[in-house]
Formats: sequence, structure tokens, C-alpha cells
Amino acid sequence: MTDAPPTKRKCLGADCDNDAGSLQCPKCLILGVKDSFFCSQECFKRNWNTHKTLHKQETSIFDRIFPPKAVSKPDPETGYYNPFPNFHFTGPLRPVYPLSPRREVPKTIPRPDYAEDGMPKLGRSMVRSNKVELLDAKAQAGMRKVCKLAREVLDIAAAAVRPGVTTDEIDEIVHKACIERNSYPSPLNYNHFPKSVCTSVNEVICHGIPDNRILLDGDIVNLDVTLYHEGYHGDLNETYYVGDKAKADPDTVRVTETARECLELAIKEVKPGTLFREFGNIIEKHAKAKNCSVIRTYVGHGINSIFHCPPNIPHYAKNKAVGECKPGMTFTIEPMIALGKYRDVTWPDNWTSTTVDGKKTAQFEHTLLVTETGVEILTARQANSPGGPVAVPTTEATTNGTN
Amino acid sequence: MEWDDEDSPPDLVEAGVEIDAEAEAEEKRPRVPITIVTGYLGSGKTTLLNYILTAQHGKKIAVIMNEFGDSLDIEKSLTINRNGESVEEWMDVGNGCICCSVKDTGVNAIESLMEKKGKFDYILLETTGLADPGNLAPLFWMDDGLGSTIYLDSIVTLVDARNILRSLDDPAGKVEGHEDSDGHGHDDHGPVMTTAHVQISHADVIVINKSDLVNDDELDVVRSRIESINGLAKIHVTTQSVIPQLDGFLLDLHAYDQVEELDQTGKGHSHLDKTISTISISVPSLTTEHIKAVDAWLRSVLWENTLSGHSEDGGPKYEIHRLKGRLLLEDGSEKMVQGVREIFEIFENPIESSSPGVQGSGKLVLIGRHLADFDFQKSLHDAIGRGL
Repeated sequence: MTDAPPTKRKCLGADCDNDAGSLQCPKCLILGVKDSFFCSQECFKRNWNTHKTLHKQETSIFDRIFPPKAVSKPDPETGYYNPFPNFHFTGPLRPVYPLSPRREVPKTIPRPDYAEDGMPKLGRSMVRSNKVELLDAKAQAGMRKVCKLAREVLDIAAAAVRPGVTTDEIDEIVHKACIERNSYPSPLNYNHFPKSVCTSVNEVICHGIPDNRILLDGDIVNLDVTLYHEGYHGDLNETYYVGDKAKADPDTVRVTETARECLELAIKEVKPGTLFREFGNIIEKHAKAKNCSVIRTYVGHGINSIFHCPPNIPHYAKNKAVGECKPGMTFTIEPMIALGKYRDVTWPDNWTSTTVDGKKTAQFEHTLLVTETGVEILTARQANSPGGPVAVPTTEATTNGTN
Repeated sequence: MEWDDEDSPPDLVEAGVEIDAEAEAEEKRPRVPITIVTGYLGSGKTTLLNYILTAQHGKKIAVIMNEFGDSLDIEKSLTINRNGESVEEWMDVGNGCICCSVKDTGVNAIESLMEKKGKFDYILLETTGLADPGNLAPLFWMDDGLGSTIYLDSIVTLVDARNILRSLDDPAGKVEGHEDSDGHGHDDHGPVMTTAHVQISHADVIVINKSDLVNDDELDVVRSRIESINGLAKIHVTTQSVIPQLDGFLLDLHAYDQVEELDQTGKGHSHLDKTISTISISVPSLTTEHIKAVDAWLRSVLWENTLSGHSEDGGPKYEIHRLKGRLLLEDGSEKMVQGVREIFEIFENPIESSSPGVQGSGKLVLIGRHLADFDFQKSLHDAIGRGL
């Protein structure tokens, strides 16, 4: 992001017609209030008593003083608009509405219990329980099947990732690929999520809603796919580089590859007897070594005939998670790794979770089955799966402007 | 975020300067304690809360009412009180994905409310008369890593001196959700576990209220019965919910992040209550390897409900509600143990040991059901022996 040129800035002092220089109020800066410039410390001091009240006001006050740059009305040419023009976005990304109409799933495809009213019922009473289901051979076969289908769908969606495609177009691809596999796209209407896949771009940690935003050269995008097939859910996600510019930016590659490695390192330790609380220690240690942070709010989860069930798998160190791996358990590990701070801010859509500083974040996820001797990665990559690791570029050339 | 706006402005900073707000805020940000207040209808909860709100403490206290955490209700009412003035608020809880976020929606609601309304100094959570605090405590006893702006200070339970014995013996008061320890097929025979039991067993402070309505002998019986259930809690006897000093007695107890000296706990009265008891295990001084053995033993006891060295006899299972411990290491350092239900943590003593290098033994205190039917001490000592 670049600031407006200095000539455009006016001193905020009430009695002051001066242009502001480059001096700004440090508290506004911390509060995330943009463009709080004064011409001098003297002027700032004179205006302090009135200015400081702004620090305690609702954020909307600032919006009245500084009109947001974002579009708040539909663009007459395209009809697109930002539904939350007064929201303080933490980074450059904006939602591009309207969302496409809800996609239908043929009645012949078996659906989970929340498909109609948006409210998952199964497993509700288990949300806070620590009892983890152990799957028998038949259930394991069901999980194996749906996870393989989920991998196919993710790979099809990933193949469509390129500069110029909208996240809604990816949603359509995922939706159709699910239906072709006689599967219900699990995110659709799960707690009223409006789409069939989560598409999380750049500073979006997770739960991004596919809309009319175009993917740009230099973006990264996470596609989080879950299918419901013959009574079981299979869940995986990967982060993909959009265009060559993304692969050439050292920070972008560092955060993406660190997230990939964190998941790989954690999976290596999955075997009977490993404590759930241990995965966070492994993940945070590696993230720190790469100068990245670990998102805390979202965790890995049990998955079987229920989309999200016990156990909880925190990705941060020193957690008190209850339980250990036992043969027959199926759960996900899905570390979210950030370039900057670990704290998250949710958009007013109640879903899209972004980093508090607007810096990029990446995530990878697998559904795992604990076996007698170790682990089976049910959503493992295939030889022809798109994406995959990229080496961190060593030169800073051509990286301007990505972050 | 909240700022103490001083009278003088700070120095302006150059554009392009990045302020590490997180680190700065993290430093300044004292986490706000939350105390859970439980007790039957009529035990004096509301009187106690009003007493606290109007007492001279200079604190901005938020009182949150209604059932909490057990339900997925998306709106909760809340009263904020400062200097006797109260304001009712509704908390909005977004309907985001509940299951893949570790934080309870209620915790999120309190956090976002504080962001909007400025920080409180203290939060009191008033539960309904039938709440099982063992279900609430884990929601608020969060990992430090989550960086929450609130932390669980303690659980306070009020009992009505005149009615509590009847409540403890009333089969109609049977608490739900503890079937494993009810025993199989002989529910009707064993002593029942009531909501009054779980409210007492999980408490860090027990206020015996309305003591003026019973005579001294009756009060002694009540007190002994309660102490036999929970040998860890501080007990206050009062009338009309009056607690002369709040700090350190009712508020700011740090009942989950410190462990007080356990010398006096778990003594006497062992079987006055047939349902819940407090047992005390002495622990020899340990090596670092031994600590791992203690951790493994606790995992088995709390997570798997399996007491090593004890074979299943078909009888009812034990159930642990609360545990605290202080472990002495051979190098003179100390480790603390805290637990509620299945969750536990072994951590460094946050306070410098008052008597470093003292030889002696550590102690583990357990509160729960059917504890007297099992030999916890032998099982732990055997586990430590194997861990050599």
C-alpha cells in the first residue's frame, strides 16, 4: 500500500490551513486511523484536547472525517460494490459484492443435517466434550473415499487459479466438481456460510467468501474444500501462488512454504500415543524459526460423519489440549501462519478472518487417519496435483509492491 | 484497545514509522479477571452481587447474567455497573463457525464488548441456580497463548445455611451429565450427586450465607459437611451476603494460575459426605524425569479415567472435579499443578519460593466422586517409582 502524496495532506488542526508534512499522531497510528497528520508539534499540542477525544470515539466518526476510498455504491458500469464501506479493513483486500445467487445441489445428492436450515445438529452436544470417536474399518473406508474425492476437487479448482479469475468462478468449479462426484459441498450453508468453498486471499486467514474479486498476479489464495459423500466429510486446503510475481516475492514464499512445512512436520509426529497438545509446540517452533507467527483462534478438528467434532488441535505452543492419538481417529491439522502479528479481525460478514496488520497469511490442511503404526494422509497430494513447494527467491528483484 | 489519555499530547511521529502496537498493548494490557458465581436460587447470589457492586472498591465491574456456555444462544444480556450506576447491554455474538474456533462464543462476546465499551476492571458471571460450574470453568480457563483479554480468577459458590443439607440429600437435585460415575444399573442405590455437590466441589470460595437462620451447632454440621466435600476452598460464614473485605477473599484470588500452600487442606471430615470427598496425596521430592511420570499419571487418571495399578471391578468409576498440587523437586524448585475435570497443567511456581531448598514432600489434592474407593496415593507412587 502506498500513502497519498504529501501534497494532498492538510493539517488536522482546527485553526490551521497549513499543509501537513509527514508528522502524524502516534495514537491514531496505533489505533489504525489513517491520515492523522499535523503540520507541527505546536499545532498538534494546541489541538490535543479536541483531537484526543477522537481516540475514544466509535470508528465511524473517522469515516465521516476521512471518506473511505472504498466504493460504497455500486459501480455504475459493473454493479459491483463494497458492502461494508465504513469498516476499517486491516489490509488492501475488499469484498466485491454482489455475491452470485446461491448454487443449488440436486435433491438426489445426500446432504448433511444443516443443508436446509444452516444449523448443524449432530455433534452439537459434543462441542465441548473430549471424547474422540474411533472409526471402524467400514467408517475408515468411507473417510478414505470422501477424502480422495475432496483431493480431486481441490486439484481441479487449483488448476483454475490464475490472474484474472474471480473467486466466485472458483466456487462454481468446486460446486460442479462436487456434484459430479455425487457429493455435497460441506461449507454450503454450514452455519449459513453462503458458498461451496472458502477462498482466502492474502491477508485473509480463513473462511473467505468467494465473490467477484479477481485474483491478481502476486496474490496467494487458499482454497479450503470439504465434501460430504456417503455420510462422511473429507476436508483439505492448500495455498496457491497466483502468477509468477507471487513466486518471486521472498516474503510471500516464506510464509506460504513455512505453513506447508509446519503441516508436514506436525504430520510426521502423528502416531498412537502422540499428545494433541504436542502439535502446537512443533508448529510454533518452526514458524518462529522462519520469523512467522501462528494464528491462535482457529484450530484443527475431528472430522468423520460430523464436519467439526472433538478433538481440538491448537496450532500454538503450550496449550492444554486434552487427549492423544489413537488408531481409528480422524482429524485435521491446518496451521495458519502469518508474516506479521497473530491476532485476527473478522469482517462484518461474520466469516472472513483477516490478520490484524493486513500482512499475508497462508494455510495448509490434511485430513488424517491415525493407524496402528503411524498415520495415513487421507487427502494426500497426487503425482499430478497442481501447486507444491517453491524455493524462496534469493534476490529482491521485481518484488516491489507486493507487500 | 483502551488508552489512558494523559493530559499532554505524545510526540508526533514521522510517516512510515511503524509502531509495534501489539507488543506495546500486550505490555500495558492487564487481563481482566472473571469470577463465576454459582449457588441455588435463594442462596443470596443477587444480594452478594449487589453488595459487591455497591461496596467501595473503585472498580468498574461488569455483571453478566443468564445461563452461559452450555447453550449456543447468540445473545446474552449483561449489566455493567460503575459507582452504583448500572447499564443493561446486549452482547452480539456473530454466528461464525463455532466449532473450529477454540474460544467459546461467550468469551468472544465479552472480549468484543470490552473493545467497544472500554475495559472493565472485573467481571462477575452470575449463573442460574442449576449451573454445573465444571462445564463453565474450562471455557474460561484458556491457554495463555490465546492472548485473551480475560482470565478465570475463581469460582465462588453461595450456599444457604438453612437449606444446604437438604439440597445435598435431595434425589430430585441430581445433576445431569455424570452417568459414568453413577454406576451401571444401580443408580437408585448409591448416594446421589446433586447440583449442590458439583457447585461446592468446583468452588474456590464457598460462602455459607444466612447463618443467622441456624444455631451454632447446626452451623458446625453444615461447615463440616462442606469441608469434607471440598477441603481446598476458602469458606466464609456470613449473613445477607456481607463480606467485609473483598480483595483476596472473594475477588482477585488467582485460583487457577497460582497454588497456595496446601498444608492445611484435605484434613479430617473425610467421609461426612458420601458422594464427594477431598483426598490428599503426599508426593516425595522429584526429579525432572519424575515430573514426566506425574504428567503421564495425570493424563491416564484425568483423560482416560484409568487409575494405573487398579483393575476394573465393575463398580462405579471415579470422577475428578478439581485438583491442585505443589511438587517439590530435588533441586529445591517447585512445580504447581492445576486441574478442572479433564484439563490440567503443570507449571513453574510463578512466585519465588518462600523457603527455597527446603526438604520435604509435595502434595496433590483431589476433589471428586468415589475417590475413597481407589488407592490414588499408591498408584501415583508406583508410577513415580517406574519413572525412575
